[in-house]
Amino acid sequence: MLALTVTRRILTELWHTRRSLIFWALFPALMLLLFGLIYAGDSSPADSFNYTAPGILIGAAFFFSCLGGPIAAIVAERERNTLKRLLLSPLSGTAYFLGLLLAFLVVAAGQTVVVYAIAFAFGGSFRGSLVLGTLVVVLSVASYVGLGFVFGSHFTKRTEEVNGPVAAIGVPLLVLGGTFFPSSVLPDYLYRIAHLNPIFHMNEAMDAVSAEELGAGAIVDHLVFLVLFAGATLAFGVQSYRAMLQRERVL
Amino acid sequence: MPTVLGVDRVSKAFGERQVLSALSFAIERGEVYGLVGPNGAGKTTLINIACLVVPPDAGAVTLNGRPVTANAHARVGVASQDVALYRDLTSEQNLEFFAALYGLTGARRSRRVAVCLSDVGLEDRADTIISLLSGGMRRRLHIAVAMLHQPDLLILDEPTVGLDLESRHRIWNVVRTVADDGGTVLVTTHQLEEAEALCHRIGILHYGRLVAEGPMAELRRHVAAAELAIIDAEDLGAVRRRADELGLTHRPALAAVAVWLPERQSLDRVAALFSGIELRSVTLKPVGLEEVVAETTQAARINRPTAQPPNRETA
Repeated sequence: MLALTVTRRILTELWHTRRSLIFWALFPALMLLLFGLIYAGDSSPADSFNYTAPGILIGAAFFFSCLGGPIAAIVAERERNTLKRLLLSPLSGTAYFLGLLLAFLVVAAGQTVVVYAIAFAFGGSFRGSLVLGTLVVVLSVASYVGLGFVFGSHFTKRTEEVNGPVAAIGVPLLVLGGTFFPSSVLPDYLYRIAHLNPIFHMNEAMDAVSAEELGAGAIVDHLVFLVLFAGATLAFGVQSYRAMLQRERVL
Repeated sequence: MPTVLGVDRVSKAFGERQVLSALSFAIERGEVYGLVGPNGAGKTTLINIACLVVPPDAGAVTLNGRPVTANAHARVGVASQDVALYRDLTSEQNLEFFAALYGLTGARRSRRVAVCLSDVGLEDRADTIISLLSGGMRRRLHIAVAMLHQPDLLILDEPTVGLDLESRHRIWNVVRTVADDGGTVLVTTHQLEEAEALCHRIGILHYGRLVAEGPMAELRRHVAAAELAIIDAEDLGAVRRRADELGLTHRPALAAVAVWLPERQSLDRVAALFSGIELRSVTLKPVGLEEVVAETTQAARINRPTAQPPNRETA
């Protein structure tokens, strides 16, 4: 219940400011349009949008909202002094984390609608299982939020530092994850390294379900990796949050 | 009256720095207890210990006679020195959020939110986004958050810091309302006149030690004077010399000299004591907390007993 309270608060704040929501919708929309049209060339854009939409959703949409968003949320709690107030309340770290995760799942759902609405408008489609697609989305968002929790708790103290970990660690992961071009163009050694990158598995899984119409059997390795990664980051994220509260206590 | 907060020989150090040293005091139900002292005296550390944010190195803290445990936050409301609100939410939404965290639901939650908004005089600002509220309004709302779950003990850390007089008066009224309703309040402040006016008892904290404690009437006895004469003159040195000749204690005051009078005297009589010196003004004022704090902390600094209270019956 307390997690839902946190979710509602975060969504209400986002709705009041709206700026973040607008940019989180605008950025993937523009990226999808650009890459969809670039890859389409002179031919029909349907295929291009089919294959571009999953990568844009994972790499452009979720990356900025569900990784940058939680970092900014935690930093804002610290800067507004509300973190200490939460510390004095019955809210547990786990409930706070779940609340954050649920809020960004709602944001991700909205972004998914925006991205696929544009893909559909250019003749693209979501070909595979919606249930499987939803599972990939949930695992991707959980992984991003977990990472965001770790970054926000450990590496980012002020608002102006939010972009640091996103740019320095996140963007290379995006490139290595095959967000803006197929991972098949990576040299062998980078391709092997890419298998350690969660964004690679998000992209590959979403691509397989959405564009290739493949079933669970074909993406089981990606799903297992994402489940393990999401679980690990969630656990580490909650730990990081607790450690951050301990630090806040003595300040 | 039952004890709400009991602090028994509590000590705390951060590294080499001893912040609290065997501190003991108790606050009774319905009491407004003021903790005053300079920056670094240990006030905020004590608050953090009282709500279990920081564990003490030694000693015990009890709430309603029981040791403070992890669920203490349900029984304590804290408004820290720094305002902590969600700037993009309205006043009401902030209160709703924190009320939900404390387990208030449905009609009870709505009622508490409305009551707290009204108590801090912000009922007409319920739908205003925090970033559009003035500093004083934010601080009042910050206090309202701490009152939401009707805690047994309300802790206010520097509640009026940086506020104008009107906002300060409003916050004082909030504290009075809580006390009138039988609530218990621990307030830390640098505003000595505020503590004097608001608090039933005052503790003076100095480098982690409680150097004096009691109701204002009792605390005045730490200053060996019945009244103060604030004397402004062309030559303040001459005033000080005359006071020394008369055996009167004196202390620097703002662009003046405060002379301690062992018994109440008329203005004319005081002026006569300083005849021959060109006086600009002479004002008589009762001994206040400022003098008590100055005297007790000075006594603590030079490690000597504080001034013996004068025997008022025979003075």
